[in-house]
Amino acid sequence: MKDQEIDNLLKRAAGAQPEVDAALVDGVARSLGSSARPVRPLPPAWLLGGALVLVCVSMAVAGAMILGPFGFRKMSAVDMAAIFPVLGLLIWVASALCAAEAVPGSPRPVAPWVLGVCGCLALAAVFGLLFHDYGTESFVAQGIRCLTAGLVQAVPASAGTWWVLRRGFAVNSLAAGFAQGALAGLAGVTMLEIHCPNFETWHVIVWHISVLPVSGALGMVVAWIGAHRSRGRAAPG
Amino acid sequence: MDSDSDLTFLMARYQLGDSGAAAALVHRLSPQLHRFFLMQYISRRHADDLLQETWLRIHQVRHTYRRGQPVLPWLYAIARNVRVDHYRKAHRAESREERLEEGFDIPQAAQGDMAQEAELGRLLAGLPESQREVIVMLKVSGMSLDEVARATSSSVGSVKQKAHRAYETLRKGLAGMRTASAPRGGLA
Repeated sequence: MKDQEIDNLLKRAAGAQPEVDAALVDGVARSLGSSARPVRPLPPAWLLGGALVLVCVSMAVAGAMILGPFGFRKMSAVDMAAIFPVLGLLIWVASALCAAEAVPGSPRPVAPWVLGVCGCLALAAVFGLLFHDYGTESFVAQGIRCLTAGLVQAVPASAGTWWVLRRGFAVNSLAAGFAQGALAGLAGVTMLEIHCPNFETWHVIVWHISVLPVSGALGMVVAWIGAHRSRGRAAPG
Repeated sequence: MDSDSDLTFLMARYQLGDSGAAAALVHRLSPQLHRFFLMQYISRRHADDLLQETWLRIHQVRHTYRRGQPVLPWLYAIARNVRVDHYRKAHRAESREERLEEGFDIPQAAQGDMAQEAELGRLLAGLPESQREVIVMLKVSGMSLDEVARATSSSVGSVKQKAHRAYETLRKGLAGMRTASAPRGGLA
């Protein structure tokens, strides 16, 4: 059987479906027409994305300045030239993704899970190439401190991203939640790179990078709870 | 003025508070949205409810439409969202009963094209939801690959793959039906 024959069958099957009730359509049209008021459209995608980048970078730098830029002072020019452009690129992609998730029918630059996986791999590759101190002194104690600081940094960053995207509408709340959490997590990772002077390879790879997926997962959980609550409010009775 | 630019113009007017544009959009797009829901094996009653719910949500989030962008991906992304909410709310047993009562009418002794359509209905019902919606958007709503990719938040490659797999399943099923219904040789 040829594709054309299947196309024709599909069209016939669609044509055989009952027509929509004209009274229903008239009722909807009247209802929408009577409440049609001018609305301010969302800003262009580049402006939303740019605002998100600005929020995340400024939050990360402010957080690092408050805690002290010890890591930045210890870094060589090569370290800086390798780490910050990669972080900047990831923040830019995550911002574009967040902006796309907030507008129905927008083309996504990447899927959220791709951002999470590729972001972690790219950062691990850069850190693995730059840092060669394989000691693991106070691995867990210092690591937990960095992870906590990164996640705490992600809280104001996520509040900022929520504010920028507050007028958006996410058709897939879990994907949007993960994207926003990952973006806030990248602000946390950036803050840690500026602040943390511990350049042990495994410390940086395990604890600094883990802020990204953990923050993304937390964003997803928050989005799920939000969606669950709004469905509960919308349900009759 | 072609269809796309016409819809874009109406959406822009709707955002400016033009009630005539809102009514024109509802009249123009409701039949294909209703068909989209019905082809997903949603009962007539639920399709009517979903159509109203979709327009209500479109009205609430009409500011998220960006002028100059294609309208259909934006509209269908919202319609999918409404449908997913519906699936979550719907009681499974109830929807199964209604599917039997109100779903595709499958004639027992259908012949020729009628039998093929009935078989197509069965095969469509058996497709994974993600493949079925892609087929409906592409072939029934007449959207382009790029528009379907935008509406389903996926890539054009992924849409092509889903459509290809769906067509494989449909082709095999319909070919099987032809073989089964072909006259056999030998003694009657």
